[in-house]
Amino acid sequence: MKEKIIKLIEEVLKVPAGTITEDTMIEDVEQWDSLAHVMIIGQLEELGVSIPLEEAIELKGMRELLEKAGCE
Amino acid sequence: MTTGRLAVLSNVNMNMVIRMLQKNAQVYEAEGYGNELGTLLNPQSSYHAYHAEITFLIMDLAELLEHDLDPVTAEQKIGNWFRTLEGCLPQEGVFYVSDAYLWAVELAVLADTGRKSQLEGIWERELRNLQQKHANVRSFPYRALAEHFGEEKAFSPKMWYMGKVLWGMEMQSALAEQILYRAGLEYRTPKKVLVLDLDNTLWGGLAGETDHTPVVLSEDHSGLAYKNLQRVLKIMQSQGVLLTIASKNNEADAMEILEHHPHMVLRPEDFAAQRINWDPKPDNIRKIAEELNLGTDSFVFFDDSEAEREMVRQMLPEVEVPEFPARAEDLAPAMVKIYETYFAAAVITGEDREKTAQYRANAGRKQMEDRAGSFEEYVKKLEICLLPVDPKEHLDRLTQLLNKTNQFNLTTRRYTLEQMRQITEDTKKRVFLYQVTDVFGDNGIVAAAIVDTAGELPEITDFVMSCRVMGRNIENAVIDRIEQQMQEEGYTVLRGRYVPTAKNKPVETMYDRLGYRKTDSTPEGTCYEIVLAERPERAYWLKENLYD
Repeated sequence: MKEKIIKLIEEVLKVPAGTITEDTMIEDVEQWDSLAHVMIIGQLEELGVSIPLEEAIELKGMRELLEKAGCE
Repeated sequence: MTTGRLAVLSNVNMNMVIRMLQKNAQVYEAEGYGNELGTLLNPQSSYHAYHAEITFLIMDLAELLEHDLDPVTAEQKIGNWFRTLEGCLPQEGVFYVSDAYLWAVELAVLADTGRKSQLEGIWERELRNLQQKHANVRSFPYRALAEHFGEEKAFSPKMWYMGKVLWGMEMQSALAEQILYRAGLEYRTPKKVLVLDLDNTLWGGLAGETDHTPVVLSEDHSGLAYKNLQRVLKIMQSQGVLLTIASKNNEADAMEILEHHPHMVLRPEDFAAQRINWDPKPDNIRKIAEELNLGTDSFVFFDDSEAEREMVRQMLPEVEVPEFPARAEDLAPAMVKIYETYFAAAVITGEDREKTAQYRANAGRKQMEDRAGSFEEYVKKLEICLLPVDPKEHLDRLTQLLNKTNQFNLTTRRYTLEQMRQITEDTKKRVFLYQVTDVFGDNGIVAAAIVDTAGELPEITDFVMSCRVMGRNIENAVIDRIEQQMQEEGYTVLRGRYVPTAKNKPVETMYDRLGYRKTDSTPEGTCYEIVLAERPERAYWLKENLYD
């Protein structure tokens, strides 16, 4: 699941595979703007991962995202 | 699939839909959202620099109304929006405007349950008005998509709160798909003829075996499934699809049902041509094509028999042969799909609505032709009337005629609606447009010619006639009228031109026949001239001249 989520995020951001890791912070990725963020949260729903609104807005990094998605 | 250069403008965040579209089409990168009218109004905007061929305006009504559900305010706000849009609507390009679906969470507790449709009705009315005034405005079926998914799936409050993305992912995919489909319609040439089998296709069971089992066509069970299929076909027919029959039956048995069965929705007059006999179907399809004067590459074949379908595929590979549904309940939906895949057109003109009647009348003319002794006698009996019509009032049809005519088309130039409009307003150009009627009825607007007087000599730059009325010397009458007018305007010489294409061989020698002199001939075309004072007398028979 973790790999699936990372792959999905890399596709949405149109960045090369391997760019996103568990340690990635959102503010460090130029392509991860607010629209990209909405798209990622929306696409995650398709994988059955539903992060509540307020937590989704507050997300800072990948580790936290994977945690909310129930991967760790 | 060709879709052209697209733009999507909205008052909500459609970037995800735009990204989906970019996989398959060229799409304008909108600068944010919510400024759709400003973008159109500002001639300096990147939108105008992009030169979109098709623009989609997808509007969320609740946002536009700022959630003020008062009908009086809504009238004003919606009215203002449409008036502003009309004010800045470019004449170039096609504009799709979404129809209305009002989604607002507070509607669920509003006691006035009619309010939603009341507010949507205001939008629909304005949109219809705009479409009637502007031929390049079309309605985008947004509402049907929302209804298909249902509110719970169509709309996503979370995405809306996060980033003004209104819809769930499936709805966004469907929007992208529908945008591509509509854009594709603008560019493709739809099929024209649907060839239908009868037994186990238009009805269940076999005609002519009524002593044992009556055919299945009724108000319930599988009989209703066939009836509903016919209802779909009837609407298709009213929108220009030519229905024909190729069926292996005794003709009398089949006609008995076609004429008298109480549950038949389609009647004999709904079919443009029919071949009910025991000949192989590919032969019958060829004969229908001959009778209608249409190429078999514009045919679709619908038959329950796999063997027949395979034979048509083998013998006539240019005919589209969709699969036949295995279950009766899937018949009507399968036909809807066939309509969308092969027949749907971006615009349906008045001509399309009359098509079956015109082609049926043609069959009558063919029979008269067979009976009449000479060609002259036959054409005289037709009592043809050639009626000039105003090109400005029939811009759609004029454009359609020039763009869709292949055989009788001297130069095969194609035009956009906007180019056509400019030509009709150009004082240097003369546009001749004619409707043709005869004893069998109205053939519609079927002949057009354009004369350009800007050069050293006036020239017939375009001359087209629908194949429906070819072979009756009508071109002689049309050219006479053009020449008369040019003479009245003081011109002494008129120029004509033939540009060969794969399909316009029938008019290769038209100018020679009309008494024009060849002045120049290259592979790109042949130039002709005629001295108007020396016009020859040409044979044609119009009703107005028959009895003087």
